[in-house]
Parts: sequence; C-alpha cells; structure tokens
Amino acid sequence: MTALFRMFLASQVTRARLLGLGSLGLLSVLLGLALGAGDGGDPATEATELVAAFGLSLFVPVTCLVFASAVLGEPHEDATLVYLWLRPVARWRLVAAAAAAALAVSLPVVVVPLALAAAVAGAGADLVLATVASCSVATVAYTGVFIWLGLRVRRALVWGLAYILVWEGFVARAGGTASLLAIRPHTRSLLAHLAGGSGELIEVSAATGVVLPLVAAALALALAVRRLTRQEVA
Amino acid sequence: MIELDHVSKWFGGVVAVSDVSFSVGPGVTALLGPNGAGKSTVIRLVCGLTLPSQGRISVLGRQPRRHLDLFGHIGLVPQQEALFESMTAGAFVTLAAELHSLDAPGSAARAALGAVDLDAGDTRALAEYSKGMRQRVKVAQALVHDPPLLVLDEPLDGLDPRQRLTLIALFRRLGSEGRGVLVSSHVLDEVERFGSRVLVMAQGRLAAEGDFHAIRTLMDNRPHRLRLRTDRPRRLGAALLETGTVVGLAVGGGDQLVVDTLDVAGFRRAVAPAARTADARLLELVPLDDDLESVFRYLVGPDPSPTR
Repeated sequence: MTALFRMFLASQVTRARLLGLGSLGLLSVLLGLALGAGDGGDPATEATELVAAFGLSLFVPVTCLVFASAVLGEPHEDATLVYLWLRPVARWRLVAAAAAAALAVSLPVVVVPLALAAAVAGAGADLVLATVASCSVATVAYTGVFIWLGLRVRRALVWGLAYILVWEGFVARAGGTASLLAIRPHTRSLLAHLAGGSGELIEVSAATGVVLPLVAAALALALAVRRLTRQEVA
Repeated sequence: MIELDHVSKWFGGVVAVSDVSFSVGPGVTALLGPNGAGKSTVIRLVCGLTLPSQGRISVLGRQPRRHLDLFGHIGLVPQQEALFESMTAGAFVTLAAELHSLDAPGSAARAALGAVDLDAGDTRALAEYSKGMRQRVKVAQALVHDPPLLVLDEPLDGLDPRQRLTLIALFRRLGSEGRGVLVSSHVLDEVERFGSRVLVMAQGRLAAEGDFHAIRTLMDNRPHRLRLRTDRPRRLGAALLETGTVVGLAVGGGDQLVVDTLDVAGFRRAVAPAARTADARLLELVPLDDDLESVFRYLVGPDPSPTR
C-alpha cells in the first residue's frame, strides 16, 4: 500500500496544479489580511464569512475535485489503470491508497492558507481551530465523493464543477432534501458552531456537520471500491 | 492453461468476439489476425479485464475476475501505449514487483529490465522513451513476478529488427521453460518466427488453429485474385483459360480483366505466352488480395468467385 500511496502522490503533485491552487490559497491569505487591516465590522463575523464563502464554498471543493477526481480517474481514462488493476491487490487497498494520497495533497493545500487567513484576519484562536476542523471534514468528504466521481464518469472535472457551482451553489440552498445531499451546508454549519457565531450559517447541528460529511465520504469510497471491482478495464 | 468455451463478447450492437472456443497450453501460442479481428478483446477476456457476454473462460483452472490471486500468475502486456509517464523505467517495474509482494522488488525489476535489454538505472522519465523502449518496459513489468502465464498484445509493435529478434527469442525461451505464452500479432512473418501453434482470428471468429506451417500452406493455397489491363480483354481471357492456371475470370469495364488462380507462380509464367497467343498487349498486372486482411477473409469464408 505504501508503494501505491507513493505512486498516487507523485502523480497528483504537478507544478500547474500546485501553482493554480497555491494562488487561490494565497488569495485567501490576502483576503484575511485585508479583513484584519480594515476597521469596518466585527472581525470574527467577517472572517467566518470569508472562510465559509470562499474557503468552504469554493477553494476546498475545487481543490479536492482537482486532486481526487484525477487520482483514479486519470489512470482510468488513459488506460494505465490496468497496471494497477491486474495485480493481486484488494480493490479497497487501491481506493484507500488513492484517498490517502489525495488527502495528503489536498489537506495542506487548503487547510494551511485558510487557517492562516483566519489568523491574520484577527478573529482569534477559536476561528482558526474552527477553520482547521471544518476544512478538514470538508476535504475528507469531497475527496471521497470526487474519487468515486473520477471513476464513474468521463470529464469528472466538468461534472464536479457542476455539482459545486450548480447543486451546492443554488439547488441545495433552497433547503429541504436537496441540502441533505450537499456537503457545503454541513461544513459551514460546523464552522459556525465551532467559531461560536454567524447564526445564519447554521443549518444542522455540529454533530450532524461532522458525521454526515464523513458518512458521505465513506459511502462514496465504498462505491468506488464496488466500481473498481465491477467495471471493465481498458 | 487457458480455455475458452463458446465465448462471445458484444459491446452494444457490435459483436467483437463470436462463439470462440480454444485452449492454450504451455509454450508459445500466437493469436494472429488483422486489426479489428477481435484479438485484443480475447486478450482482455483472458485477463478478466472484461467479462464475456456469453460462454465460459478458465485461466489456470480459475475464472478471471473471481479470483484476485489469479492476477499474481498472469503477466500482461496491454496494447495501449500509455504508461506512468513521469516515472522511470526502474520505478515503474519496481512498483509492479511491489504490488506482487515480491521479497526483493528492486532486484526483480533490474532482472526484468535486463531481460529486455534496458538499464534499470536510467534516470529518464518514461515520457522520454522511444516507442520501442516503452514496449520493452511493458514486457518487463509483465515478466517481473515470473508468472506462469504471459499474455502479450502486439508486443513487437514499434521495435526495430534487432529488438524483435531479442524479444522473440525471449518469448520462445519462456515457452520452452513450460510457461504459457499467448502472443497476439497482425504480422504473419512475425508469427512465423515464434515457431508456434497459431490461432487465426478474423471478424471476431476463430478462423483457423493449428501448427503455423499448416496454416501457412492453407493461406498460400487459397485462390488469389489479380487484375489485368489489356487492349483485348476477352481474347486474353480466353487464352488464359486455355492455360489451365485460371479457376475464375471476369471481364470488367473497358480494358480490365479479373482472374482467380490457385497457382500464382504458374499463372505468372503463363500470362505472357497467353498474351502473345491472343495478340494482346498486357498493360498492367496487379494482385488484388495480397494483404493479410484478404487472407483472413478467405479463411473465414471466401468471397464468391467471379463468374466465368
């Protein structure tokens, strides 16, 4: 499994990806600095809004989409998956190694700059911890879902962006069942609970905000294992 | 080692493999057929990469896909060119060895790369390798765990003549050691060098199987079709029929004449005297079916002969 993890990790880290997503991270830090330097409203509320609106709604899901959809999706599409698939390795190990590699890249890429943004915004240690926790939960959830998506569809980036922008951005905001099928309301609620403010972000309890995204990740990874077991390999 | 029992595979409405049955034992077996004949689908079926729509497949006594440990006994060289481009050959083959849980993956990788004349210490990424080198890397990753069954899909594609000879010798040696080696190819002369049993596929069906030389004779003895251009096609046609070397003949539009013969050499010897006899000028003589596809089509079911 270590060998697989190393291989997946190496295939994930490309200069273009790191530069693109690193600049989004830098942008989040600059926005945090701007908030910290401003003398407008309550820094805690504004910084929470920044992490929720920019971090949990865009930066985290897009980063996870880029890495997680590619980790098994790219070998599936370019037919190199056969070099992993045709080995006496349990399918769950392949998926677990892929998930671990995607997380190993995504977590530092999103959590570090967003935590830094929360810190420089001057909102206090609670928001920094809340940011780390909610972003970590969100990263795990999106990673699981997008690994499955990468195996399930071609052009997973397009489908993933549609999910992030259309489903989570519009449909799920209407509430009801649609919001249950979205990760964003849960992680935003978690952030708000842990930061102790921004009541309008809270849609579910803190426990639900942790458990449901993690269950979604586990289910998606189980589906990915099933898919890998049953699908035809080029 | 491999048994296919009335296996068919279709993708939507397209039949890729139709009612194919054969068995493969130790030694080299060549799977011969033109592009699109269904060879790669058969290879994918044997390795469990795709499931049969109908029929039964057994590999080393087990059904592919149902037994994960079976993959530890198969080495596959797939047809597609893509590799893990950023890796070195050494790292790529070592990864394969690690996934097979070998005790010394590094030395196994070095040995496998050495067997195909590649340097395990080469620091270049696979993306920088030539097509021939990439083919040999694919063979090395299939050999690294020393499997009893090797399945090779067009492994000689892109290799220069010297590399071809090296790999053919390697496959023959592996076969003579008791391994099953199933090699696909669309090049007749390539298969001849394997000196092996041959399975001929065409249009998704098993067209012939047996010893290479018997198949080759069968191929050479088929009717050959040639087109002639002459200023007197009817008179030349009549003169050619007199020679006894022609089994079918059709006068085409204008100056064309199409003939079928079972004896190309005899026909070629007879055509000039026949033209003299007919007082005809022979303008052109072109074989119409010398390509391998025509040979395979004949084995599946010959085209109707032109009317006499």
